Amino acid sequence: MIDLLATRDYYLASFLLLGVGTYVMIAARNFVKKVIGMNIFQTGIFLFFIAAAYLEGANPPVLTMDGPHVSPLPHVLILTAIVVGVALTAVALGMIVRIYAEYGTLTEDTLEEVRNGE
Amino acid sequence: MNVELPLIAFVLASALATAVLRDVLGAIIAFATYSLGIAVVWVVLQAPDVALTEAAVGAGVTTVLFLLTIAKTVRPSGDRVLERPHWPALAVAVLFVGVLATTLGALPEIGAADTTVITSEVTEYYLANAYEEAGVKNAVTAVLAAYRGFDTLGEVVVVYSAGVGLLVVLGKEVFA
Repeated sequence: MIDLLATRDYYLASFLLLGVGTYVMIAARNFVKKVIGMNIFQTGIFLFFIAAAYLEGANPPVLTMDGPHVSPLPHVLILTAIVVGVALTAVALGMIVRIYAEYGTLTEDTLEEVRNGE
Repeated sequence: MNVELPLIAFVLASALATAVLRDVLGAIIAFATYSLGIAVVWVVLQAPDVALTEAAVGAGVTTVLFLLTIAKTVRPSGDRVLERPHWPALAVAVLFVGVLATTLGALPEIGAADTTVITSEVTEYYLANAYEEAGVKNAVTAVLAAYRGFDTLGEVVVVYSAGVGLLVVLGKEVFA
């Protein structure tokens, strides 16, 4: 059991980060915090991919260095995912700024009340 | 000294701090710390390109976007430092982690030489041919710009749409 955890520590950390992200997305009443939760969830998935690409004792996938190298493909996928994640965050935050301008609140319950009161 | 476990502990602790801090500004700062910790994890896992992007974009640009947002809106006021626990959300999160953890035994050891990713034909092909075919010594750049160039084009389209979407959502407002 301990051996299982010790050799798969990054996977376990990735799962825990997914858990923290889920918790923040559901529990946070403030919209900005929900977006932060989404970002934590994303990095959890990134950690899973980069850990899968890792090879003990290998160099980075730069060919001027001696082999063996770690796998470059997951790194590329995650580079793309990081940039897409920032685009997503930017749009979400833009909507939050707009929600605040329209309704004057950033919390879930207050927004519901304001909308029901209209 | 093994750097792995303290590093993982640091990352998880800053993620937890982000989750429990009630003040949004505090949570943003904790999240920036978390991003920087994750960037160090990428370095330890031999992914320097991802580490650079994470440090610049994750810890840099994202934090600035969050700060701009709270500068344009509000922070919750009050004396409490920590958020009250939200039990249903905690139950969902624990259940989710529990279900994921059952797959742990089926996953290959991290860093083992016989994992599917390392022994995959694609990995071997990229490492063997990247320099000859793309003329770049960095295999990540070769895959990003040459082998998976359309993927990167798609990424640029996403960023462009996000920019257009932001302008539409904010109307005449300027996000700065």
